[in-house]
Amino acid sequence: MKKNTFYLLVGCIALTLLGIFWYSVETHRPLLIEISFVFAILITYLVRRTVTDLIDDERTIKITEEAMVRTFQVFWVVFAAISIGAVMEILYIPEFPREPRSGRPPVILPPKLMGYIQLGLLCLMIFLYVGFRIYYARKYGEWETDEE
Amino acid sequence: MRNKIKVYRAMHDLTQEDLAQAIGVTRQTILAIEKGKYVPSLDLAFRISRHFRVNVEEIFLYDEATRDPPSG
Repeated sequence: MKKNTFYLLVGCIALTLLGIFWYSVETHRPLLIEISFVFAILITYLVRRTVTDLIDDERTIKITEEAMVRTFQVFWVVFAAISIGAVMEILYIPEFPREPRSGRPPVILPPKLMGYIQLGLLCLMIFLYVGFRIYYARKYGEWETDEE
Repeated sequence: MRNKIKVYRAMHDLTQEDLAQAIGVTRQTILAIEKGKYVPSLDLAFRISRHFRVNVEEIFLYDEATRDPPSG
């Protein structure tokens, strides 16, 4: 498969995922988009192996690796800090009430807020990766020009 | 690390693209190595020198002044 065909296919997969995401939101079926996402990534990896004119040399691999390592180094701290808040939900043991409590037990992090936090984390991860990738691409001469 | 890739390319009348294709890397990688932006691995350094049929130390010169700080 040619490189351009591969990029076209990736675009089609992304658009399909967007449609499935929208359908999942409308019908409130999160499992559908979760499974579709995993399948989409698997398909992309498998198809990428058949691309003949895409050269992944050691410099490109180094740029990707460095960007991923730095992203992970920053992201895990933020992720762990937020996750600790979510773990509090599991470990929360209400004090013995003097009188029977009515209604639902108090929620430290409501599910909707957790959703927004996850969205923020996802965006942070993408921004960090893109930022570091641009930084390392510049460092290792990605946009250098020559007299040739 | 300094190198004489550009000199050897000129001697063999090769473009960056020709050399890149011959050793299986991108033209941008050859350009980055020539400009000292990227230090190639031992494997790639040997492949380049073998392509020009010379020893690796004839193309790549270790320069203490431009030594990369240890990463980590």
